[in-house]
Amino acid sequence: MTNEVPLLQCKKMEFGYGKVLGAAGVSVAADVVGTSGAVGAAPALAAPLDFTLSVGEVVAVVGANGSGKSTLLKTLAGFVQPLSGTFEIEGVANMPLRERAKKIALVRMGNMVPSRMTAREFVGLGRTPYSNFLDGRLAEDERIVDDALATVGMTAFANRAVAELSDGERSRVYLAEALAQQVQILLLDEPDAFLDVPHSHHLFKMLRTLAAERKMGILVSTHSIEYAEKYCNRMMVIDKNCIQVDTAAEARTHGLLRWTEEEIV
Amino acid sequence: MVRRIICFGVLGVLAVLLMAGTLCIGPVDLDSDMFATVLWKLRVPRLVAAVLAGAALSVSGLSLQTLFRNPLAGPFVLGISNGASFGVALALLAGFSFGNFGVLTAASLGALAVTAVILWIASKFERNSVLLVAGLLIGYFIDALVSLLIAGSDAESLRMYISWGMGSFGRLTPSGIGIFAVAVGVGLLLIVSCLRYLNGARLGDDFARGLGLSVAVQKKCVLLGASILAAAVTAFCGPVAFIGIAVPHLTYLLFRTTNHRVLIPGVMLCGADLTLLAGLFPTIPLNATLSIVGVPVILWVLLRSGREGRL
Repeated sequence: MTNEVPLLQCKKMEFGYGKVLGAAGVSVAADVVGTSGAVGAAPALAAPLDFTLSVGEVVAVVGANGSGKSTLLKTLAGFVQPLSGTFEIEGVANMPLRERAKKIALVRMGNMVPSRMTAREFVGLGRTPYSNFLDGRLAEDERIVDDALATVGMTAFANRAVAELSDGERSRVYLAEALAQQVQILLLDEPDAFLDVPHSHHLFKMLRTLAAERKMGILVSTHSIEYAEKYCNRMMVIDKNCIQVDTAAEARTHGLLRWTEEEIV
Repeated sequence: MVRRIICFGVLGVLAVLLMAGTLCIGPVDLDSDMFATVLWKLRVPRLVAAVLAGAALSVSGLSLQTLFRNPLAGPFVLGISNGASFGVALALLAGFSFGNFGVLTAASLGALAVTAVILWIASKFERNSVLLVAGLLIGYFIDALVSLLIAGSDAESLRMYISWGMGSFGRLTPSGIGIFAVAVGVGLLLIVSCLRYLNGARLGDDFARGLGLSVAVQKKCVLLGASILAAAVTAFCGPVAFIGIAVPHLTYLLFRTTNHRVLIPGVMLCGADLTLLAGLFPTIPLNATLSIVGVPVILWVLLRSGREGRL
Protein backbone atom coordinates (compact mmCIF):
# COMPACT_ATOMS: atom_id res chain seq x y z
CA MET A 1 0.00 0.00 0.00
CA THR A 2 1.14 3.50 -0.74
CA ASN A 3 0.09 4.93 2.55
CA GLU A 4 2.96 7.40 2.58
CA VAL A 5 0.99 9.92 0.52
CA PRO A 6 -1.95 11.17 2.60
CA LEU A 7 -5.35 11.37 0.93
CA LEU A 8 -5.76 15.03 1.65
CA GLN A 9 -3.33 17.51 3.10
CA CYS A 10 -3.94 21.19 3.84
CA LYS A 11 -0.78 23.28 4.03
CA LYS A 12 -1.21 26.58 5.84
CA MET A 13 -4.49 26.95 4.01
CA GLU A 14 -6.70 29.95 4.72
CA PHE A 15 -10.25 29.92 3.43
CA GLY A 16 -13.11 32.38 3.10
CA TYR A 17 -15.36 33.88 0.49
CA GLY A 18 -12.61 36.03 -0.99
CA LYS A 19 -11.96 34.17 -4.18
CA VAL A 20 -15.16 32.71 -5.49
CA LEU A 21 -14.88 31.02 -8.83
CA GLY A 22 -16.90 33.40 -10.95
CA ALA A 23 -19.10 32.40 -13.84
CA ALA A 24 -16.30 33.42 -16.18
CA GLY A 25 -14.08 30.74 -14.67
CA VAL A 26 -11.44 33.10 -13.39
CA SER A 27 -11.11 33.82 -9.74
CA VAL A 28 -12.59 37.18 -8.97
CA ALA A 29 -11.56 38.83 -5.75
CA ALA A 30 -14.74 39.96 -4.10
CA ASP A 31 -14.77 43.54 -2.94
CA VAL A 32 -15.10 42.78 0.70
CA VAL A 33 -13.89 45.16 3.36
CA GLY A 34 -11.36 43.04 5.15
CA THR A 35 -10.43 43.00 8.81
CA SER A 36 -7.68 45.47 8.03
CA GLY A 37 -10.28 47.78 6.49
CA ALA A 38 -8.70 47.60 3.05
CA VAL A 39 -11.06 47.07 0.14
CA GLY A 40 -10.25 43.98 -1.91
CA ALA A 41 -8.83 41.90 0.91
CA ALA A 42 -11.38 39.35 2.04
CA PRO A 43 -11.19 38.16 5.63
CA ALA A 44 -10.19 34.58 6.19
CA LEU A 45 -12.76 32.66 8.18
CA ALA A 46 -10.10 30.92 10.23
CA ALA A 47 -6.39 30.86 10.95
CA PRO A 48 -4.15 28.98 8.47
CA LEU A 49 -5.03 25.29 8.58
CA ASP A 50 -2.55 22.44 8.65
CA PHE A 51 -4.46 19.21 8.43
CA THR A 52 -3.98 15.72 7.08
CA LEU A 53 -6.79 13.29 6.28
CA SER A 54 -5.69 9.66 6.26
CA VAL A 55 -7.12 6.50 4.77
CA GLY A 56 -9.89 4.91 6.81
CA GLU A 57 -10.77 7.77 9.11
CA VAL A 58 -13.92 9.78 9.61
CA VAL A 59 -13.32 13.34 10.79
CA ALA A 60 -16.18 15.50 12.03
CA VAL A 61 -16.19 19.25 11.37
CA VAL A 62 -18.10 21.10 14.06
CA GLY A 63 -18.68 24.77 14.77
CA ALA A 64 -21.40 27.34 15.17
CA ASN A 65 -23.53 28.60 12.28
CA GLY A 66 -21.44 30.79 10.01
CA SER A 67 -18.15 29.58 11.45
CA GLY A 68 -17.00 28.39 8.03
CA LYS A 69 -17.71 24.65 7.97
CA SER A 70 -19.39 24.77 4.58
CA THR A 71 -16.81 27.17 3.18
CA LEU A 72 -14.02 24.81 4.22
CA LEU A 73 -15.74 21.89 2.48
CA LYS A 74 -16.46 23.99 -0.62
CA THR A 75 -12.83 25.07 -0.73
CA LEU A 76 -11.64 21.47 -0.58
CA ALA A 77 -14.16 20.49 -3.27
CA GLY A 78 -12.71 23.19 -5.52
CA PHE A 79 -15.75 25.51 -5.67
CA VAL A 80 -13.97 28.29 -3.78
CA GLN A 81 -10.27 29.05 -4.00
CA PRO A 82 -8.20 29.07 -0.84
CA LEU A 83 -7.21 32.60 0.19
CA SER A 84 -3.66 31.51 0.82
CA GLY A 85 -1.69 28.32 1.19
CA THR A 86 -2.60 25.12 -0.66
CA PHE A 87 -4.11 21.72 -0.22
CA GLU A 88 -3.02 18.55 -1.94
CA ILE A 89 -5.12 15.58 -3.02
CA GLU A 90 -2.95 12.45 -2.90
CA GLY A 91 0.10 14.66 -3.10
CA VAL A 92 -1.10 16.77 -6.03
CA ALA A 93 -1.96 20.44 -5.65
CA ASN A 94 -4.35 22.17 -8.06
CA MET A 95 -5.58 18.95 -9.59
CA PRO A 96 -7.51 19.45 -12.86
CA LEU A 97 -11.30 19.48 -12.39
CA ARG A 98 -11.98 16.18 -14.04
CA GLU A 99 -9.25 14.27 -12.19
CA ARG A 100 -10.39 15.90 -8.97
CA ALA A 101 -13.95 14.64 -9.55
CA LYS A 102 -12.59 11.08 -9.50
CA LYS A 103 -10.86 11.65 -6.16
CA ILE A 104 -13.08 13.92 -4.12
CA ALA A 105 -16.82 14.55 -3.89
CA LEU A 106 -18.88 16.94 -1.80
CA VAL A 107 -22.32 15.74 -0.78
CA ARG A 108 -24.71 18.60 -0.04
CA MET A 109 -28.20 17.94 1.16
CA GLY A 110 -29.13 21.41 -0.01
CA ASN A 111 -31.95 23.20 -1.55
CA MET A 112 -31.97 22.09 -5.15
CA VAL A 113 -33.90 19.00 -6.10
CA PRO A 114 -33.45 17.57 -9.57
CA SER A 115 -36.87 17.79 -11.20
CA ARG A 116 -38.12 14.97 -13.40
CA MET A 117 -35.09 12.81 -12.59
CA THR A 118 -35.26 9.26 -11.24
CA ALA A 119 -32.95 8.15 -8.44
CA ARG A 120 -31.10 5.90 -10.85
CA GLU A 121 -30.58 8.67 -13.40
CA PHE A 122 -29.33 10.94 -10.66
CA VAL A 123 -26.85 8.43 -9.26
CA GLY A 124 -25.75 7.78 -12.85
CA LEU A 125 -24.51 11.39 -13.00
CA GLY A 126 -21.72 10.22 -10.71
CA ARG A 127 -20.19 8.49 -13.73
CA THR A 128 -19.81 11.80 -15.59
CA PRO A 129 -16.07 12.20 -14.86
CA TYR A 130 -15.47 8.80 -16.45
CA SER A 131 -17.77 9.21 -19.46
CA ASN A 132 -16.84 10.13 -22.99
CA PHE A 133 -17.76 13.13 -25.08
CA LEU A 134 -21.30 11.89 -25.76
CA ASP A 135 -21.94 10.91 -22.14
CA GLY A 136 -22.46 7.22 -22.87
CA ARG A 137 -22.57 4.58 -20.15
CA LEU A 138 -20.92 1.16 -20.31
CA ALA A 139 -22.18 -2.01 -18.60
CA GLU A 140 -19.44 -1.42 -16.04
CA ASP A 141 -20.89 2.02 -15.24
CA GLU A 142 -24.35 0.52 -14.80
CA ARG A 143 -22.91 -2.06 -12.40
CA ILE A 144 -21.21 0.68 -10.34
CA VAL A 145 -24.47 2.65 -10.19
CA ASP A 146 -26.36 -0.46 -9.03
CA ASP A 147 -23.69 -1.09 -6.43
CA ALA A 148 -23.88 2.52 -5.15
CA LEU A 149 -27.67 2.29 -4.83
CA ALA A 150 -27.39 -1.05 -3.03
CA THR A 151 -24.76 0.31 -0.62
CA VAL A 152 -27.13 3.01 0.63
CA GLY A 153 -30.08 0.61 0.55
CA MET A 154 -32.00 2.45 -2.16
CA THR A 155 -32.20 -0.27 -4.82
CA ALA A 156 -35.98 -0.50 -4.42
CA PHE A 157 -36.29 3.25 -5.07
CA ALA A 158 -34.14 3.30 -8.22
CA ASN A 159 -36.99 4.19 -10.57
CA ARG A 160 -38.74 6.67 -8.29
CA ALA A 161 -38.44 10.40 -8.99
CA VAL A 162 -35.91 12.06 -6.69
CA ALA A 163 -38.38 14.89 -6.09
CA GLU A 164 -40.93 12.43 -4.66
CA LEU A 165 -38.56 10.87 -2.12
CA SER A 166 -38.57 11.77 1.56
CA ASP A 167 -35.70 13.88 2.89
CA GLY A 168 -34.02 10.84 4.40
CA GLU A 169 -34.28 8.83 1.20
CA ARG A 170 -33.06 11.77 -0.84
CA SER A 171 -29.99 12.24 1.32
CA ARG A 172 -29.11 8.59 0.77
CA VAL A 173 -29.49 9.03 -2.99
CA TYR A 174 -27.16 12.06 -2.84
CA LEU A 175 -24.61 9.92 -1.01
CA ALA A 176 -24.99 7.16 -3.62
CA GLU A 177 -24.19 9.69 -6.37
CA ALA A 178 -20.85 10.47 -4.69
CA LEU A 179 -20.15 6.74 -4.28
CA ALA A 180 -20.77 6.24 -8.01
CA GLN A 181 -17.97 8.76 -8.59
CA GLN A 182 -15.69 6.18 -6.88
CA VAL A 183 -13.90 8.85 -4.90
CA GLN A 184 -11.41 8.24 -2.11
CA ILE A 185 -12.25 11.43 -0.26
CA LEU A 186 -15.82 12.10 0.74
CA LEU A 187 -16.92 15.48 2.04
CA LEU A 188 -20.40 15.72 3.55
CA ASP A 189 -22.08 18.99 4.50
CA GLU A 190 -24.49 18.36 7.39
CA PRO A 191 -25.83 15.06 6.06
CA ASP A 192 -27.93 14.59 9.21
CA ALA A 193 -29.70 17.96 8.86
CA PHE A 194 -32.95 16.42 7.66
CA LEU A 195 -32.65 12.98 9.23
CA ASP A 196 -34.46 11.55 12.23
CA VAL A 197 -32.47 9.97 15.05
CA PRO A 198 -32.39 6.33 13.85
CA HIS A 199 -31.50 7.39 10.32
CA SER A 200 -28.72 9.63 11.60
CA HIS A 201 -27.20 6.77 13.57
CA HIS A 202 -27.51 4.57 10.52
CA LEU A 203 -25.82 7.19 8.32
CA PHE A 204 -22.83 7.67 10.60
CA LYS A 205 -22.41 3.90 10.94
CA MET A 206 -22.46 3.69 7.16
CA LEU A 207 -19.75 6.35 6.92
CA ARG A 208 -17.53 4.34 9.29
CA THR A 209 -18.07 1.20 7.23
CA LEU A 210 -17.28 3.03 3.99
CA ALA A 211 -14.09 4.49 5.42
CA ALA A 212 -12.92 1.12 6.70
CA GLU A 213 -13.97 -1.11 3.81
CA ARG A 214 -13.34 1.15 0.85
CA LYS A 215 -10.22 2.82 2.23
CA MET A 216 -11.86 6.22 2.08
CA GLY A 217 -11.17 9.34 4.07
CA ILE A 218 -14.32 11.16 5.17
CA LEU A 219 -14.80 14.73 6.36
CA VAL A 220 -18.30 15.33 7.66
CA SER A 221 -19.69 18.59 9.02
CA THR A 222 -22.45 18.28 11.59
CA HIS A 223 -24.19 20.14 14.40
CA SER A 224 -24.52 16.95 16.39
CA ILE A 225 -21.62 16.71 18.85
CA GLU A 226 -23.11 13.42 20.03
CA TYR A 227 -22.63 11.68 16.68
CA ALA A 228 -19.23 13.32 16.21
CA GLU A 229 -18.04 11.93 19.53
CA LYS A 230 -19.62 8.53 19.07
CA TYR A 231 -18.80 7.70 15.45
CA CYS A 232 -15.91 9.86 14.27
CA ASN A 233 -12.20 9.25 14.78
CA ARG A 234 -11.26 12.89 15.06
CA MET A 235 -12.99 16.20 15.43
CA MET A 236 -12.14 19.52 13.77
CA VAL A 237 -13.50 22.42 15.78
CA ILE A 238 -13.90 25.85 14.17
CA ASP A 239 -14.50 28.45 16.85
CA LYS A 240 -13.87 32.20 16.67
CA ASN A 241 -11.46 31.97 13.74
CA CYS A 242 -9.48 29.27 15.45
CA ILE A 243 -9.31 25.71 14.13
CA GLN A 244 -8.30 22.85 16.38
CA VAL A 245 -8.19 19.17 15.59
CA ASP A 246 -8.25 16.50 18.27
CA THR A 247 -9.33 12.92 18.69
CA ALA A 248 -13.08 12.73 19.01
CA ALA A 249 -12.86 11.04 22.39
CA GLU A 250 -10.64 13.71 23.96
CA ALA A 251 -11.96 16.90 22.36
CA ARG A 252 -14.34 17.55 25.23
CA THR A 253 -11.81 16.96 28.01
CA HIS A 254 -9.30 19.16 26.21
CA GLY A 255 -11.83 22.00 26.25
CA LEU A 256 -12.45 22.21 22.51
CA LEU A 257 -16.19 22.04 23.00
CA ARG A 258 -16.52 24.80 25.58
CA TRP A 259 -18.12 27.08 22.95
CA THR A 260 -21.15 24.81 22.75
CA GLU A 261 -22.25 25.87 26.22
CA GLU A 262 -21.50 29.58 25.91
CA GLU A 263 -24.24 32.19 26.13
CA ILE A 264 -25.28 33.67 22.80
CA VAL A 265 -24.82 37.42 22.93
CA MET B 1 -35.95 1.40 -22.91
CA VAL B 2 -39.00 -0.07 -24.63
CA ARG B 3 -40.72 3.26 -24.16
CA ARG B 4 -37.90 5.05 -25.96
CA ILE B 5 -37.94 2.67 -28.91
CA ILE B 6 -41.73 3.05 -29.29
CA CYS B 7 -41.52 6.86 -29.02
CA PHE B 8 -38.70 7.14 -31.55
CA GLY B 9 -40.50 4.68 -33.84
CA VAL B 10 -43.86 6.47 -33.78
CA LEU B 11 -42.32 9.94 -34.12
CA GLY B 12 -40.09 8.71 -36.95
CA VAL B 13 -42.94 7.13 -38.92
CA LEU B 14 -45.03 10.25 -38.36
CA ALA B 15 -42.17 12.40 -39.69
CA VAL B 16 -41.89 10.28 -42.85
CA LEU B 17 -45.65 10.45 -43.44
CA LEU B 18 -45.70 14.21 -42.92
CA MET B 19 -42.75 14.67 -45.25
CA ALA B 20 -44.53 12.65 -47.93
CA GLY B 21 -47.60 14.80 -47.34
CA THR B 22 -45.58 18.00 -47.65
CA LEU B 23 -44.16 16.84 -50.98
CA CYS B 24 -47.36 15.43 -52.49
CA ILE B 25 -50.25 17.51 -51.22
CA GLY B 26 -50.95 20.77 -53.02
CA PRO B 27 -52.70 22.37 -55.98
CA VAL B 28 -50.35 20.66 -58.46
CA ASP B 29 -50.97 16.92 -58.91
CA LEU B 30 -48.37 14.16 -59.10
CA ASP B 31 -49.01 13.45 -62.81
CA SER B 32 -48.79 17.09 -63.86
CA ASP B 33 -45.96 18.33 -66.10
CA MET B 34 -45.30 21.07 -63.61
CA PHE B 35 -44.77 18.60 -60.77
CA ALA B 36 -40.98 18.31 -60.98
CA THR B 37 -40.54 22.07 -61.00
CA VAL B 38 -42.98 22.62 -58.17
CA LEU B 39 -41.37 19.79 -56.21
CA TRP B 40 -37.82 21.10 -56.41
CA LYS B 41 -38.47 24.82 -56.41
CA LEU B 42 -41.22 24.99 -53.79
CA ARG B 43 -41.98 21.85 -51.86
CA VAL B 44 -38.51 20.53 -51.09
CA PRO B 45 -37.33 23.90 -49.74
CA ARG B 46 -40.51 24.12 -47.67
CA LEU B 47 -39.90 20.62 -46.29
CA VAL B 48 -36.28 21.43 -45.44
CA ALA B 49 -37.29 24.72 -43.83
CA ALA B 50 -39.93 23.01 -41.68
CA VAL B 51 -37.63 20.18 -40.56
CA LEU B 52 -34.66 22.42 -39.80
CA ALA B 53 -36.76 25.05 -38.03
CA GLY B 54 -38.58 22.50 -35.88
CA ALA B 55 -35.41 20.68 -34.91
CA ALA B 56 -33.35 23.84 -34.33
CA LEU B 57 -35.91 25.71 -32.22
CA SER B 58 -36.64 22.63 -30.11
CA VAL B 59 -32.97 22.01 -29.32
CA SER B 60 -32.46 25.71 -28.63
CA GLY B 61 -35.41 25.73 -26.22
CA LEU B 62 -34.41 22.48 -24.53
CA SER B 63 -30.82 23.54 -23.91
CA LEU B 64 -31.87 26.95 -22.58
CA GLN B 65 -34.47 25.39 -20.26
CA THR B 66 -31.82 23.04 -18.91
CA LEU B 67 -29.16 25.73 -18.65
CA PHE B 68 -31.41 28.12 -16.75
CA ARG B 69 -33.17 25.34 -14.83
CA ASN B 70 -36.39 27.06 -15.76
CA PRO B 71 -39.29 25.56 -17.70
CA LEU B 72 -40.10 29.00 -19.14
CA ALA B 73 -36.72 29.68 -20.70
CA GLY B 74 -36.39 29.79 -24.46
CA PRO B 75 -34.87 31.93 -27.18
CA PHE B 76 -37.77 34.38 -26.94
CA VAL B 77 -37.67 34.77 -23.19
CA LEU B 78 -33.95 35.54 -23.25
CA GLY B 79 -34.34 38.19 -25.92
CA ILE B 80 -32.22 36.21 -28.39
CA SER B 81 -35.02 35.92 -30.94
CA ASN B 82 -35.85 39.60 -30.45
CA GLY B 83 -32.24 40.43 -31.27
CA ALA B 84 -32.52 38.38 -34.44
CA SER B 85 -35.79 40.11 -35.33
CA PHE B 86 -34.11 43.48 -34.93
CA GLY B 87 -31.37 42.39 -37.32
CA VAL B 88 -33.94 41.20 -39.82
CA ALA B 89 -35.94 44.42 -39.55
CA LEU B 90 -32.80 46.47 -40.21
CA ALA B 91 -31.84 44.29 -43.19
CA LEU B 92 -35.33 44.41 -44.70
CA LEU B 93 -35.54 48.16 -44.34
CA ALA B 94 -32.08 48.43 -45.90
CA GLY B 95 -33.48 46.70 -48.98
CA PHE B 96 -32.30 43.07 -48.62
CA SER B 97 -34.80 40.41 -49.65
CA PHE B 98 -35.92 37.36 -47.68
CA GLY B 99 -33.74 34.26 -47.51
CA ASN B 100 -30.82 36.40 -48.44
CA PHE B 101 -27.40 35.93 -46.88
CA GLY B 102 -27.58 39.55 -45.74
CA VAL B 103 -30.69 38.81 -43.70
CA LEU B 104 -29.10 35.77 -42.08
CA THR B 105 -26.00 37.78 -41.21
CA ALA B 106 -28.08 40.59 -39.75
CA ALA B 107 -30.22 38.15 -37.74
CA SER B 108 -27.14 36.33 -36.45
CA LEU B 109 -25.44 39.58 -35.50
CA GLY B 110 -28.58 40.72 -33.67
CA ALA B 111 -28.92 37.41 -31.81
CA LEU B 112 -25.21 37.25 -30.98
CA ALA B 113 -25.24 40.84 -29.73
CA VAL B 114 -28.00 39.96 -27.27
CA THR B 115 -26.18 36.75 -26.32
CA ALA B 116 -23.01 38.78 -25.70
CA VAL B 117 -24.93 41.06 -23.33
CA ILE B 118 -26.46 38.01 -21.60
CA LEU B 119 -23.00 36.44 -21.27
CA TRP B 120 -21.62 39.66 -19.85
CA ILE B 121 -24.36 39.69 -17.24
CA ALA B 122 -23.71 35.98 -16.65
CA SER B 123 -20.11 36.76 -15.76
CA LYS B 124 -21.34 39.19 -13.10
CA PHE B 125 -24.00 37.02 -11.52
CA GLU B 126 -23.89 33.36 -10.68
CA ARG B 127 -27.67 33.24 -10.28
CA ASN B 128 -29.49 32.22 -13.40
CA SER B 129 -32.76 33.88 -12.47
CA VAL B 130 -31.07 37.28 -12.86
CA LEU B 131 -30.21 36.33 -16.43
CA LEU B 132 -33.79 35.37 -17.18
CA VAL B 133 -35.12 38.71 -15.95
CA ALA B 134 -32.37 40.57 -17.82
CA GLY B 135 -33.19 38.64 -21.00
CA LEU B 136 -36.87 39.55 -20.76
CA LEU B 137 -36.02 43.22 -20.28
CA ILE B 138 -33.58 43.20 -23.20
CA GLY B 139 -36.32 41.61 -25.30
CA TYR B 140 -38.77 44.43 -24.49
CA PHE B 141 -36.10 47.04 -25.15
CA ILE B 142 -35.30 45.60 -28.57
CA ASP B 143 -38.98 45.28 -29.49
CA ALA B 144 -39.30 48.97 -28.74
CA LEU B 145 -36.38 49.70 -31.08
CA VAL B 146 -38.02 47.59 -33.79
CA SER B 147 -41.29 49.49 -33.47
CA LEU B 148 -39.35 52.76 -33.77
CA LEU B 149 -37.75 51.44 -36.97
CA ILE B 150 -41.11 50.39 -38.35
CA ALA B 151 -42.79 53.67 -37.48
CA GLY B 152 -40.33 55.49 -39.70
CA SER B 153 -40.57 53.15 -42.65
CA ASP B 154 -42.63 53.23 -45.85
CA ALA B 155 -45.76 51.12 -46.42
CA GLU B 156 -44.07 48.47 -48.58
CA SER B 157 -41.32 47.67 -46.03
CA LEU B 158 -43.92 47.63 -43.29
CA ARG B 159 -46.04 45.10 -45.18
CA MET B 160 -42.97 42.92 -45.76
CA TYR B 161 -41.96 43.05 -42.11
CA ILE B 162 -45.44 42.17 -40.89
CA SER B 163 -45.74 39.23 -43.29
CA TRP B 164 -42.30 38.03 -42.15
CA GLY B 165 -43.45 38.38 -38.55
CA MET B 166 -46.23 35.84 -39.09
CA GLY B 167 -43.68 33.20 -39.91
CA SER B 168 -43.55 30.95 -42.95
CA PHE B 169 -41.60 28.02 -44.33
CA GLY B 170 -42.23 29.18 -47.87
CA ARG B 171 -39.48 31.78 -48.04
CA LEU B 172 -36.50 29.45 -48.15
CA THR B 173 -35.05 29.45 -51.66
CA PRO B 174 -33.23 26.38 -53.05
CA SER B 175 -29.97 28.33 -52.85
CA GLY B 176 -30.60 29.21 -49.20
CA ILE B 177 -30.95 25.57 -48.11
CA GLY B 178 -27.20 25.08 -47.81
CA ILE B 179 -26.62 28.17 -45.65
CA PHE B 180 -29.57 27.36 -43.38
CA ALA B 181 -28.41 23.74 -42.97
CA VAL B 182 -24.84 24.76 -42.15
CA ALA B 183 -25.97 27.33 -39.56
CA VAL B 184 -28.23 24.76 -37.89
CA GLY B 185 -25.45 22.16 -38.03
CA VAL B 186 -22.97 24.47 -36.29
CA GLY B 187 -25.48 25.33 -33.58
CA LEU B 188 -26.34 21.67 -32.97
CA LEU B 189 -22.66 20.72 -32.82
CA LEU B 190 -21.96 23.36 -30.20
CA ILE B 191 -24.81 22.11 -28.03
CA VAL B 192 -24.09 18.40 -28.48
CA SER B 193 -20.48 19.02 -27.46
CA CYS B 194 -21.82 20.09 -24.04
CA LEU B 195 -23.98 17.00 -23.52
CA ARG B 196 -22.35 16.11 -20.21
CA TYR B 197 -22.84 19.61 -18.85
CA LEU B 198 -26.50 19.66 -19.87
CA ASN B 199 -27.04 16.38 -18.04
CA GLY B 200 -25.19 17.54 -14.94
CA ALA B 201 -26.53 21.11 -14.80
CA ARG B 202 -29.79 20.19 -13.08
CA LEU B 203 -28.45 20.67 -9.57
CA GLY B 204 -26.65 23.89 -10.19
CA ASP B 205 -23.22 24.97 -11.31
CA ASP B 206 -21.37 23.82 -8.20
CA PHE B 207 -22.75 20.33 -8.60
CA ALA B 208 -21.68 20.26 -12.26
CA ARG B 209 -18.24 21.52 -11.23
CA GLY B 210 -18.06 18.68 -8.70
CA LEU B 211 -18.59 16.25 -11.58
CA GLY B 212 -15.43 17.62 -13.20
CA LEU B 213 -17.15 19.81 -15.79
CA SER B 214 -15.74 23.18 -16.83
CA VAL B 215 -18.96 25.07 -16.24
CA ALA B 216 -17.93 28.51 -17.50
CA VAL B 217 -16.81 27.30 -20.94
CA GLN B 218 -19.70 24.92 -21.47
CA LYS B 219 -22.30 27.47 -20.42
CA LYS B 220 -21.01 29.89 -23.08
CA CYS B 221 -20.89 27.11 -25.63
CA VAL B 222 -24.54 26.21 -25.02
CA LEU B 223 -25.67 29.86 -25.10
CA LEU B 224 -23.77 30.44 -28.34
CA GLY B 225 -25.21 27.31 -29.95
CA ALA B 226 -28.76 28.13 -28.84
CA SER B 227 -28.52 31.66 -30.21
CA ILE B 228 -27.12 30.54 -33.56
CA LEU B 229 -30.03 28.10 -33.90
CA ALA B 230 -32.60 30.75 -32.99
CA ALA B 231 -30.99 33.32 -35.30
CA ALA B 232 -30.94 30.96 -38.28
CA VAL B 233 -34.62 30.07 -37.92
CA THR B 234 -35.62 33.69 -37.36
CA ALA B 235 -33.76 34.78 -40.49
CA PHE B 236 -35.22 32.14 -42.80
CA CYS B 237 -38.69 31.48 -41.36
CA GLY B 238 -39.54 34.47 -39.19
CA PRO B 239 -40.06 34.62 -35.45
CA VAL B 240 -41.56 31.19 -34.75
CA ALA B 241 -42.35 31.43 -31.07
CA PHE B 242 -44.22 28.42 -29.86
CA ILE B 243 -41.91 25.49 -30.73
CA GLY B 244 -38.93 26.37 -28.53
CA ILE B 245 -40.87 26.49 -25.30
CA ALA B 246 -43.46 23.74 -25.87
CA VAL B 247 -41.65 20.89 -27.59
CA PRO B 248 -39.20 20.14 -24.72
CA HIS B 249 -42.17 19.69 -22.34
CA LEU B 250 -43.93 17.39 -24.77
CA THR B 251 -40.74 15.36 -25.20
CA TYR B 252 -40.21 14.99 -21.44
CA LEU B 253 -43.69 13.55 -21.18
CA LEU B 254 -43.19 11.14 -24.05
CA PHE B 255 -39.73 9.88 -23.17
CA ARG B 256 -39.82 10.23 -19.35
CA THR B 257 -36.09 10.82 -19.08
CA THR B 258 -33.76 13.71 -18.34
CA ASN B 259 -30.84 12.31 -20.30
CA HIS B 260 -29.98 14.68 -23.13
CA ARG B 261 -28.54 11.82 -25.14
CA VAL B 262 -32.17 10.78 -25.64
CA LEU B 263 -33.82 14.19 -25.26
CA ILE B 264 -31.88 15.98 -28.02
CA PRO B 265 -32.83 13.54 -30.81
CA GLY B 266 -36.27 13.33 -29.18
CA VAL B 267 -37.00 17.05 -29.33
CA MET B 268 -35.60 17.24 -32.87
CA LEU B 269 -38.05 14.61 -34.09
CA CYS B 270 -40.93 16.00 -32.07
CA GLY B 271 -40.28 19.58 -33.22
CA ALA B 272 -39.90 18.55 -36.85
CA ASP B 273 -43.19 16.63 -36.67
CA LEU B 274 -44.99 19.69 -35.32
CA THR B 275 -43.55 22.12 -37.85
CA LEU B 276 -44.21 19.69 -40.73
CA LEU B 277 -47.80 19.39 -39.59
CA ALA B 278 -48.21 23.15 -39.40
CA GLY B 279 -46.48 23.49 -42.77
CA LEU B 280 -49.23 21.41 -44.42
CA PHE B 281 -51.41 24.54 -44.32
CA PRO B 282 -49.23 27.02 -46.21
CA THR B 283 -52.00 29.57 -46.70
CA ILE B 284 -52.51 30.22 -42.98
CA PRO B 285 -49.83 32.23 -41.15
CA LEU B 286 -47.48 29.77 -39.47
CA ASN B 287 -47.53 31.31 -36.01
CA ALA B 288 -51.32 31.32 -36.03
CA THR B 289 -51.51 27.59 -36.92
CA LEU B 290 -48.91 26.63 -34.36
CA SER B 291 -50.47 28.61 -31.56
CA ILE B 292 -54.16 27.92 -32.23
CA VAL B 293 -53.66 24.17 -32.60
CA GLY B 294 -50.65 23.72 -30.40
CA VAL B 295 -51.29 25.79 -27.30
CA PRO B 296 -54.48 23.99 -26.18
CA VAL B 297 -52.86 20.61 -26.79
CA ILE B 298 -49.70 21.42 -24.84
CA LEU B 299 -51.70 23.12 -22.10
CA TRP B 300 -53.83 20.01 -21.71
CA VAL B 301 -50.75 17.78 -21.61
CA LEU B 302 -49.07 20.02 -19.04
CA LEU B 303 -52.11 20.24 -16.78
CA ARG B 304 -52.55 16.49 -16.91
CA SER B 305 -48.93 15.76 -16.09
CA GLY B 306 -48.88 18.51 -13.48
CA ARG B 307 -51.72 16.76 -11.68
CA GLU B 308 -49.77 13.52 -11.75
CA GLY B 309 -46.74 15.32 -10.33
CA ARG B 310 -44.46 14.58 -13.22
CA LEU B 311 -43.71 18.14 -14.32
